[in-house]
Amino acid sequence: MSEQRRDVLQMLAEGKINTDEAERLIAALDREQPAMVSDVDTRLRTRPKYLRVVVNIPDTADDGPAQVNVRVPLQLLRAGVRLASLIPPQALEHATDKLHQSGVPIDLSQLKPEQLEELIEHLDDMTVEVDQPDAKVHVFCE
Amino acid sequence: MMPQLITISIRQPRRKAFRLWIPLLPLLLVLSPVLVIVLTAGVVACLGYRINPARALWMAWRLLCGLRGTRVDVEHGRTAVLVAIR
Repeated sequence: MSEQRRDVLQMLAEGKINTDEAERLIAALDREQPAMVSDVDTRLRTRPKYLRVVVNIPDTADDGPAQVNVRVPLQLLRAGVRLASLIPPQALEHATDKLHQSGVPIDLSQLKPEQLEELIEHLDDMTVEVDQPDAKVHVFCE
Repeated sequence: MMPQLITISIRQPRRKAFRLWIPLLPLLLVLSPVLVIVLTAGVVACLGYRINPARALWMAWRLLCGLRGTRVDVEHGRTAVLVAIR
């Protein structure tokens, strides 16, 4: 039994709603449930494969508009992250020291490959849009 | 599966469009003697840095396979460059 259905029955038991209202609420929950399941199915089926970066620069200096269109497979990002796990600890320590000297307090040895992979897994939810008069940038997954 | 073809296309004003199709498998076969030397150097470097060479090779292979589907398209006025890996 779902949590929401239990809440409806609880409210009925406590006398907060009558049987007609409870019936209507449960019917509404039944209608919502298949829609939510199909939403999840669609999302799983259409899992993005590429990270896209599109930059549009309008014609400002009479040399024509400029457009940059980059498509990077997410598989490549995953492979790159796994490759990064091969970096020897000495090199990570050295890089961390240099970062600290530059005023960036990040300890690279604390950054685990699993965390980076998780980050890439959640990239599909990300969309960045920058809309300026002199340029438009759109970063998304498809 | 590794990429099969790299397409490079360059378009410039007042010039004929330039297109280049590079089939990767024949290219790798032609470059195989060089690849053997590069791989040997890579394995020695891995051992020097205490990295498992087999794991490093597998990761590099995955990286190569991951390149499939990459596309970079830059267009400025009547000049355009397109690189596609299929």
